[in-house]
This record gives sequence, structure tokens and C-alpha cells, in this order.
Amino acid sequence: MSEYHKALKVLMQSPVTDDMIKFLTNQTLRVLPNVQTPAQTSAYPSPPSSPPKKHLQPQRLPSLMSFISRLVRHTNVYTSTLLTTVCYLNKLKCILPRDATGLPSTIHRIFLACLVLSAKFHNDSSPLNRHWAKYTDGLFSLEDLNLMERQLIQLLNWDLRVTNDDLILDLRFLLEPIVADIEKTSRQRKRIEKQKLLQQQRHRMIESAGTVRSLSNSSSTTKLYDHQRNVSICSDLSSSTLVDYDLNANTTPKPAANTKKACRNSWEALEHELNQVLMQHDTCSDTYNACNY
Amino acid sequence: MKELKHENIVRLYDVIHTENKLTLVFEYMDNDLKKYMDSRIVGNNPQGLELSLVKYFQWQLLEGAAFCHENKILHRDLKPQNLLINNKGQLKLGDFGLARAFGIPVNTYSSEVVTLWYRAPDVLMGSRTYSTSIDMWSCGCILAEMVTGKPLFPGTNDEEQLKLIFEIMGTPNESSWAGISTLPKYNPNFPQRLPKDIRTILQPHAKEPLDDNLIDLLHGLLQLNPDMRLSAKQALHHPWFAEYYQRPQ
Repeated sequence: MSEYHKALKVLMQSPVTDDMIKFLTNQTLRVLPNVQTPAQTSAYPSPPSSPPKKHLQPQRLPSLMSFISRLVRHTNVYTSTLLTTVCYLNKLKCILPRDATGLPSTIHRIFLACLVLSAKFHNDSSPLNRHWAKYTDGLFSLEDLNLMERQLIQLLNWDLRVTNDDLILDLRFLLEPIVADIEKTSRQRKRIEKQKLLQQQRHRMIESAGTVRSLSNSSSTTKLYDHQRNVSICSDLSSSTLVDYDLNANTTPKPAANTKKACRNSWEALEHELNQVLMQHDTCSDTYNACNY
Repeated sequence: MKELKHENIVRLYDVIHTENKLTLVFEYMDNDLKKYMDSRIVGNNPQGLELSLVKYFQWQLLEGAAFCHENKILHRDLKPQNLLINNKGQLKLGDFGLARAFGIPVNTYSSEVVTLWYRAPDVLMGSRTYSTSIDMWSCGCILAEMVTGKPLFPGTNDEEQLKLIFEIMGTPNESSWAGISTLPKYNPNFPQRLPKDIRTILQPHAKEPLDDNLIDLLHGLLQLNPDMRLSAKQALHHPWFAEYYQRPQ
């Protein structure tokens, strides 16, 4: 799930795209599947509808998609505010009866009302309704805006809360490509890291033969740092590879048993020191906890 | 807010929405904490409340705040005027006019929130990425105010507010608060002050001797660095409240 949370953050920070607008248009159309907008161009030719009553059609209705694009362009709305409308659209779809219908402009109203509520609920400053009315290019008046906002908020029972999980569910269509991308890059990164690690290991193996020998000669004041480096060497290497490298190294060859012994000695010294450090650490964190409470 | 049902949050019963009027119907409460404290002023001297009452009020305040935060709501205007009390000694959070949902990557925040005296230092320095800690600072200011009867940091403008805070809590820097210098209104030339002992400041005005636990809780709530501030849940588990949470249910 965390990949989806990451993807959500990415999506919300990216600029508004045509895909988003297409997606929102489709989602809005699904809220009221029974309404046929005149601007909705169908693949099949159909006879023109009967002449509309004059007062119901104040002016030519733009297609929903161009209506949304226009709003987005004029308001410079945040991607996040815009995309959150989909949660309200889907809630509304569940609330409305299946056979609900409306005027051709109803879907425009539904989308706009969702956008207005999303902007008001999620931002500390957002356009006023009279500004929204202006952005519709005369399609809706301030009174229309007030009415659609009021109706929608009542239908939603004043509950405008949206959670991350709601967003992930409702926006999965837009999130999936981002998730796939994240997974791909993380796979690539892992592969690169693995290669790097292998290379480092190989380098260390070459160095190791020398280090182990010098360690066995060194005094007890060897620093922890060296020890730690050697822990990984000792544990990384099986004794056979150690021998191989020892033999391949450009120093005077030593019997394998000696190297192994040196390795074991340094390992024991190391374990002892590590234990002491760990004990110290424990007492430290105990006193720290005691200080806190 | 209709869905925010808790005994320490004033209940919103209904919303009546008409063409040019919006009426909110709330639960009735007798008084608010500010008026209550004012009513106890003797002559010209503000009086702190009894510590047992302070504790009971603070507990309820934190319960209310914890519930808001659990439900992903920031109150953003906690102050005595907005804490409503009734004759049974119950305290409830009111006035959600500045409240906001948080927790999804959708929200944008203004730093012009919370009444000045109760505004956290990170917000005063222009932070817009605040979260629940913004309310916890207010809770700390309110606790101190209940103890003494006087507001803790009564500034008249943003600069003076920060000055008053630093005078008592010490001036923060990058080592005590990593990231402070990235805040929009951070000023490296803030007057440098050392933290003062909050007990010696509050004690002269308090009714009773202040115990270590109370002082420790105050310190937890009034951490300058928002990441270090106690959460409402943590504050409720503070030893000062031991008698409440250890009470057999």
C-alpha cells in the first residue's frame, strides 16, 4: 500500500494534465448515466433532439470536458483540489437513486459544486462563489452557484472528509502507472546497489588478506572502526576464498592455517570489545530513558 | 463537524441553510473559561484557579484535542474564550471556525491562524506545514493561564509575540531546532535569550505550590520545536494525570 501512498503524493504534486481532465469528465458522466448532454458527441449518428424549451437552455452548453478545462485554466486550481472532486463525485453517485436524471446542464452543476466544495474544504483561501460564477463564462450566476453548493453539501450530509485511502481507491486509474514506475525504478535501484555491493565485496576481499595479517600483529589499542570493518570481512569470507586471495595476493604466501588462526584471534578480540560497547550503549539508553521519565 | 461527537467537544445539532443565512444549532453551555476566570478576579488582581480544577479542565481540554486529532481535524484556535464550560464543571471545545481537516496531501495551510497569544512559534515564523502540534502549544499556554489567571505571552504583534516567547523559553537556534532557519520569517538576529525557570515565573501568581509534574507537562507542551512538543495522547499519559488514568473504570 505504501507504494500507492507515494504515488498519491507524486500525483498531487504534478501539474494538471489532459488525462486528468478526461478522467474527471468520465467520472462526472458516470454520476448521472441517464442524462444525455447535447454536446456529448456519440460515435453513432442520431436524430437531433426535439427543440428545447427556451428558459431551460439559456445558452449553448459547452461539452463537459471543455467546461472543466476552462475552469482549470481560469482558476489555476491545485491538482490536489481538482482530483479530490472525484471522491465527492463517487459519494454522490452512491447517494443518488439509480434512475436519477436532470437537465443537460446538471452534470456541469454537479462537477462545479464538487470543485467549489473541494476548494473550500481543503484550502485556507479559495475563490468566492461570485468568482466561480465569473469563471463559468456566464453559464451560471452567483445564485446558481450558491444553490448548487447548498444542495450538494446537504446531499453529502455536511461530511466532506476525505482520507488517503478514499483518494487511492478513487484515483487508482491515475495512480497505477505511477506505482508501476516507482516499482520499476526501485527494482533498478536495487539491481544497481547489488552490483555495487558485489564490486565492493570483491575489492574488500583483495584488501582483506593484508588487513587480517596486520591486525593479528597489531596491539590491543586497535580502533573499533577497524574491528567493524573486519567483522564484515571475517563473516563475508569463507575460509576457502580467504585462502584463495591470500595465495593470489602479491605478498609472500603464508600457510592457510595461519591466516585462519589470525582471523579467529582477531574475531574473538573483536567480539569482546563489541560486547563492551553494547553494554555501555545499554546503560546510556537506560539513563536516557530515566531522564525522560 | 456534525460527525465530531465527543463529550469534550460542543455538539453541533443541526445546520439550517437558507438563502442568505446559515444557522448552526449547538449544545447549550453556561459559560466560557475566559469569563469564568475573569469572574474570579479580586480587585485588580487576576487569580489562578485551584490546581485540582486546573487539572480537571486541562484533562478535558486534552481529551477534546486528542479526539479532534484522531479524527484528522486541527482546531487552530484554542484559547480560553473558545473553551466552553457548564455548571457541572464540564469543559468542551467550541468555535471550529478556523478548524481544518489534515492528513491528506491535498491541503494548503495559511500561517494566519490561532489568536496571537496562543500561536506557536513555528507558525509565528511563517510555517505552513504545521500539524497537530499547533494545537498543543495553545494547550500549554492555556494551562499556564489557568494556573496564574494571566495570559502567559500577551504580545501585541507578531514580533513582540516571538520576543515574549523567547524571553521565557529561550531563543532557539539550528542546534536546538534543526530546520528552524528554513522558516520564512526566521531571523538569525533574534535577541538571544536563555530559557528561564518557568516555575519561578508562574509560582508568585499561583494559588498553590506547583509540583514537578505540572512543570514538566508545561515544558512538554511549550517546546519551541514542534517535533519535540507532546501530542495530546502523550500529554494525557503524563504523570501529572496519573490519578485520572489510574482510576479504576
